[in-house]
Amino acid sequence: MLYAWRTLKLGSIHMPDAGFLPFLCGAGLAVLGVVWILILQWTEEKESEGHPEKRLWRRPALSLLLMLIYAWAIETFGYITSTLVFMVAWQKVIEKEKWFKTALISVVGTIAMYALFVYLLKVPIPQELFLR
Amino acid sequence: MDIFGGLLNGFAIALTGTNILFAFLGALIGTAVGVLPGLGPAATIALLLPITYVISSPVTAIIMMAGIYYGSMYGGSTTSILLNLPGEAASVVTCIDGYQMAKKGRAGAALGISAIGSFIAGTVAVIGLTFFAPPLAEFALDFGPPEYFALTTLGLLLAVTLSGGSIVKGLIVLLVGLILAMVGLDPISGKIRFTFGSIVLQGGFDFVTLAMGVFGLGEILYNLESTLKTEIVTTKIGKVFPTLRDWADSRWAIFRGSVIGFFIGIIPGGGAVISSLASYAIEKKYSKHPEEFGQGVIQGVAGPESANNAASSSSFIPLLTLGIPGNAAIAMIFAALMIQGITPGPFLVAEHPDLFWGVIASMYIGNAMLLVLNLPLVGLWVQMLRVPYGILAPIIVLFTTVGVYSVQNQVFDIYSMLFFAALGYGMRKLDFDPAPLPLAFVLGPMVERSLRQSLLISGGDLTIFITRPISGTLVAILTFLVVGQTLFFIKRRIRGKKGSAR
Repeated sequence: MLYAWRTLKLGSIHMPDAGFLPFLCGAGLAVLGVVWILILQWTEEKESEGHPEKRLWRRPALSLLLMLIYAWAIETFGYITSTLVFMVAWQKVIEKEKWFKTALISVVGTIAMYALFVYLLKVPIPQELFLR
Repeated sequence: MDIFGGLLNGFAIALTGTNILFAFLGALIGTAVGVLPGLGPAATIALLLPITYVISSPVTAIIMMAGIYYGSMYGGSTTSILLNLPGEAASVVTCIDGYQMAKKGRAGAALGISAIGSFIAGTVAVIGLTFFAPPLAEFALDFGPPEYFALTTLGLLLAVTLSGGSIVKGLIVLLVGLILAMVGLDPISGKIRFTFGSIVLQGGFDFVTLAMGVFGLGEILYNLESTLKTEIVTTKIGKVFPTLRDWADSRWAIFRGSVIGFFIGIIPGGGAVISSLASYAIEKKYSKHPEEFGQGVIQGVAGPESANNAASSSSFIPLLTLGIPGNAAIAMIFAALMIQGITPGPFLVAEHPDLFWGVIASMYIGNAMLLVLNLPLVGLWVQMLRVPYGILAPIIVLFTTVGVYSVQNQVFDIYSMLFFAALGYGMRKLDFDPAPLPLAFVLGPMVERSLRQSLLISGGDLTIFITRPISGTLVAILTFLVVGQTLFFIKRRIRGKKGSAR
């Protein structure tokens, strides 16, 4: 809302400009945010009786971090290298698999995905660092 | 072109080798997605959106996407019946009686009647779509900016109120979706908004990255919180063709489910989930033995499964005639059409009759294919459930990452997809239904353009929305909805307070 107010022209109701709807949406969000907080406080007692969460976010957070590293690595090191490392990291860190199963899933997964994208869908993928 | 001429032309298009193959692929992928828990139709269509860039014909691309959508409705019943675990949201209610039937050794009958019911309902809905869509599209040709503003706003609000979750949270998601749609160039003045100096953002967020992030990866991240273990309760499926007694017991449930599903599917925000719940409630109400529901009654499977299939077909009506997607999965198909350079709306029938009739005709063929895929191949689908999530999840991550990268060959798209994945995960974690987000994102430019054009036409006179008959009627429904929901909310709160005071 503040962004729309400060940087975009709101115009008038006769001639609404680029900031008109962003301002309305921002104002709406602000009001709904207050209403949500009030509702949360209203139902606070019921919520507090709930069971405590046992670090449920750990696996999603770790996998998101892995995906971020993979996104960076795919152009830096190339598709095959980064995919293979990503698959190994996923099986070891997220799934906690044994080495044999990790290696099998990673190698087969990488080859299958490479075949799918390169030969079947003909998608251009980043080349390997050592082949550039 | 009259309806029969159009339909014949549609069959000529849908029956070409390529289109039959893609209808089959769509139905096959859809069934697989429906069978696998933790991956809904919206997420799958989102994951496959980049493929539409590779498919050169828009008719073929949409035929496949549509096949995935209604195919997932067929497949969803398998896990509900055999595992008590819905493959997708619309099959939740099938668990109640379907699983009980499986426990009594009648899994085959439950699977059979749900496939046959789905086929009948899907076909009934496509017949409805055939005759209902063209006149509606013709009627919509009279729509101007005020009508479009009223219609899109009503559609978005219905999507929020009918989703069944918190309305306040739904409205927050809706507004966030609208704001995300505003990033980039203003559609009227061409001014740059919300880019914070980034050149890449000047073109706005790509729908593919948003959809794949919020629905594809967001769902994966949320599923990673728990370890999905699939244990098949029954390995004996038995005869999948229902007996004459089963048929006699369920035929009216199938008929009622088809009609309910068809009409609920047309309403924006309606869709498959609500129609299956409504069908179950009606079957229970009209049954001579309502007490038996929940203990393995065949009507409790036949009705909801028919309803969700009919709804998935009829939800194409607002998309193909008004250009308004009614639910998240249809919003993905809307995006697929836009990727192909086609704007869905009332002009679609006249400007792209091949696409309009080709897709409708393919639905008749797809429904028949699904019957063949589902009845004899049930055993195969059950085997597929044994693929561990630990393998499936990283494969989906790889698929989305390369898929999103391939669209414009830039890593920025992967980063924005991961941003949306975190947003999608956060929404699920805080119990925000993400469904209104893609709808608002897709409809955002239309909402803004129609609002500003209406105000420009009327010189800022807001009565333009109520003095024109169509927009006036839509605004009246909108007002009724808002006032009704507010009163309902206040009443519920007061009753809740009185209850806790006692």
